[in-house]
Amino acid sequence: MSAGLNIPGATVRDPGFPTERENYLTNSKGVLSWMFTLDHKRIGVMYLIGVTLSFALGGLLAFALRWHLLDPDGTLFTNNIYNQVFTLHGAIMVFLFIIPSIPAALGNFLVPIMLGAKDVAFPRLNLSSFYLWIFGAIFFVMALCASGLDTGWTFYTPYSTTTDTSVIMATLGAFILGFSSIFTGLNFIVTINTMRPPGMTWFRMPLFLWATYATSIIQVLATPVLGITLLLLIAERTMHIGIFDPEYNGDPVTYQHFFWFYSHPAVYIMILPAFGIISEIISVHSHKHIFGYRFIAYSSIAIALLGFLVWGHHMFTAGMSDMTTIIFSALTFTVSVPSAIKVFNWLATMYKGSISLTTPMCYAISFIFLFTIGGLTGLHLGTLATDQHLHDTYFVVAHFHYVMVGGTLVAFLGGLFHWWPKMFGKLYNENGGRISAFLVFLGFNLTFLPQFILGSRGMPRRYATYDPEFATLHTASTHGALILGIGLLVALVVLLMSLVRGKRASANPWGGATLEWNCTSPPPFYNFERPPVVGDPYDFHDIEWDEQNERYVTIEPERKMVPETEPAEAPAHAADKQ
Amino acid sequence: MLPAAFSLLADYTEDYAWFPDSASTFSSEVDWLYKVITGIGFVFFVGVIIALFGFALKYRKAKGQKAESQVSHNTPLELAWSVIPSIFLVGMFIFGAKVYLDMRTVPDGSYEVGVQAFKWGWTMDYGRGTFHPELHLLVNEPTKLTMRSSDVIHSLYVPAFRAKKDVVPGRYNYMWFEPTLATEKVSDEDLAAAVKETEESGAEWDYDKYQFTPDGYRFYDLYCAEYCGENHSQMQTVVVVHKTREDLDAWIKKYSSRSDTESLESYGEKLYARRGCSGCHSIDGSPRVGPTWKDAFGSMRALTSGATVKVDENYLRESIIYPKEKIAAGYQPVMPSYKGQLSDDDIDSMIAYMKSLSANAE
Repeated sequence: MSAGLNIPGATVRDPGFPTERENYLTNSKGVLSWMFTLDHKRIGVMYLIGVTLSFALGGLLAFALRWHLLDPDGTLFTNNIYNQVFTLHGAIMVFLFIIPSIPAALGNFLVPIMLGAKDVAFPRLNLSSFYLWIFGAIFFVMALCASGLDTGWTFYTPYSTTTDTSVIMATLGAFILGFSSIFTGLNFIVTINTMRPPGMTWFRMPLFLWATYATSIIQVLATPVLGITLLLLIAERTMHIGIFDPEYNGDPVTYQHFFWFYSHPAVYIMILPAFGIISEIISVHSHKHIFGYRFIAYSSIAIALLGFLVWGHHMFTAGMSDMTTIIFSALTFTVSVPSAIKVFNWLATMYKGSISLTTPMCYAISFIFLFTIGGLTGLHLGTLATDQHLHDTYFVVAHFHYVMVGGTLVAFLGGLFHWWPKMFGKLYNENGGRISAFLVFLGFNLTFLPQFILGSRGMPRRYATYDPEFATLHTASTHGALILGIGLLVALVVLLMSLVRGKRASANPWGGATLEWNCTSPPPFYNFERPPVVGDPYDFHDIEWDEQNERYVTIEPERKMVPETEPAEAPAHAADKQ
Repeated sequence: MLPAAFSLLADYTEDYAWFPDSASTFSSEVDWLYKVITGIGFVFFVGVIIALFGFALKYRKAKGQKAESQVSHNTPLELAWSVIPSIFLVGMFIFGAKVYLDMRTVPDGSYEVGVQAFKWGWTMDYGRGTFHPELHLLVNEPTKLTMRSSDVIHSLYVPAFRAKKDVVPGRYNYMWFEPTLATEKVSDEDLAAAVKETEESGAEWDYDKYQFTPDGYRFYDLYCAEYCGENHSQMQTVVVVHKTREDLDAWIKKYSSRSDTESLESYGEKLYARRGCSGCHSIDGSPRVGPTWKDAFGSMRALTSGATVKVDENYLRESIIYPKEKIAAGYQPVMPSYKGQLSDDDIDSMIAYMKSLSANAE
């Protein structure tokens, strides 16, 4: 198999390239073989196409918003249309891109392979959750576009119970999407609990799996609350039962409590899988054992649990009691500790490593930069006094875009570039990939850094028009959005071009030690030819660069069979028995 | 001295200013905290970035080279970088909560102003029947706002005071602050020129253009910060901080009621602008959220109930006080009630103004 390396006393393990028919892309053909597939990898790829289309739609809307804001008098959109466009942008990005992107697309593809399993625990549930997502997404987008929605993605009452736009249709769409999310989470929890092969203990799981596990717990526990809240909202609108609408003796702040009890943990559905991806990328592309494995694993679980306790920080100005407000502020700070730990661990992993500045590594470095800004500006918002000034301003807009876009999107792109050779068996143009990472980084910062200043100066969010003193910063922001858009287009072109004329990828193009690099690229239908040998997922000792074949291979010490010989004397205790 | 220094750093009208004017007792505390948090954050950020890019360049190696070290953990180090940031976090929390509690503890004897928020405007209630969209205060006097909303959630936000509070329908929310910087008055010539220009164009007063009120005061912006629908971004008014109580009282007196010499129509026209009617009702025939006032009086109007009603004094009075009783066909029942907010003379003035706009009036 591998003629290049010849190490005495060792065997070289390299699965080589897949044959024509043994990989999951080619083992059966036709549209129906995809539509009715139960293979987690194909479902993952279908999700990938779905979330990419959603992101393109949400991104175009975002650019339309920025274009409109070039001109403070708002000649592109009327106020009414602007409100609908920002609602569409937010709703599509949150419900159709950020929440499903990593868990459903990359997670579906990777969880079983990294675990060393053949598939997820419930393949049919997996396919049904994909179709629920498709149905929910089509319904959701149709509802949003056809009849319009202008409540913002949060559906705050009593505006949402009184506006004449189609709140019921849109919330039903979100409700359906919630089920898809719950099914995926459930499937991963059962898969990780029951389908680990011999030797795959909890602390031998790659950190991406820890992150996915923590995410799944949130999906299963929090999403039902959103479902119930949206049903209550529909009941309120149609039957005026008086839960949220003060006109019928309801309390609008109750809705905010219910809503954020889901939606704050949902922020961690978005960011935890991103942490998992970054842990993998940093370790593999530094060719160094991840630093503080257990701290990172525990911090994922800690974030998942603490994430349930901090929803009140969305309501620091809503008029909760002062004691509640202060308690929520204190709890909010606790969640920043595990996030900080992760950043330090990644840096320590890079220290004295052997770093390759590949495209995934460029995205990972960009992630750490952006996420650090996102995290640190969260401190201004968690601190009660400064939040009173910054709440509902562009400072918040910038902060959550740094976390959700700079965090989730950049990690998603990094993960996509990292696992692309594995998924499709093709190498992409590295320089093209690095250029995309650079443009995304530059464009993103130019878009959102000015918004921190806008917010500090008092520019409220969700404004269709604004006072003239804010114009310069808005213009800078729009130019940044243009660069960001170009960077994303470059990434798309680089990836698509690789499918057409990319070089064939070896099993292990980066020199990773997790299990997915042990099968061919693309993986065979059942992932592994024979049960994989499970070891430390971050042990790079036996991974060597094969110069001649230009690929990484795994070196195993040769096990010499000891010749069976009769013992010269029977052991002493054996003699006693006789 | 200190507020003045801050305002030098952050002149409102400059494009490069980081903060708006610092004009209340809270603003310097909030800015101080903001700067401390930013400073601590910046130190950590710089450390992270130096390590990030430093390591990325220093340990960059050719493919296949082994890492210098494979150290996988170091418990004392990991405990240190968990505990040290936590200490800073506790500090931020404590100072943040302390200033917040100050913001929530209203001093006795504060000057009180009632606030009514509605789609899409503000009415400030100065007591004794004086209502006006602008918020007028006295410098160095603690002021408490008691706020309610007629429809959806709004949020009263004065960036110069670093103060914000949601206005939630169905409950009273309150906030307080103490302005420390009075707003200037422009010269009489500038004011007269602007008033003349506005009168000639027939448009409403343009606060953004002149940067002073129709009475000649410079101002701070007051925004609605909670999304509330179509004209959310136009739900703005201004805050004027007077130097002396006499000046403030004179301003309130000016708007307290119709003077003996003023006609009903012209006072009605002022109320139209001042009480938020113009946000929803046009006077040029164009439809807005509510029906236009042009040629309304004396016309027949179809209602959503299917009935038809003549637009006369009785119908108008009822619609002002009980706006959800008879809804004009094609419109939503969104108008807030003005019961208790308009005196009989005010209502008479509005009706007289509407009559003057209508060709149908007898």
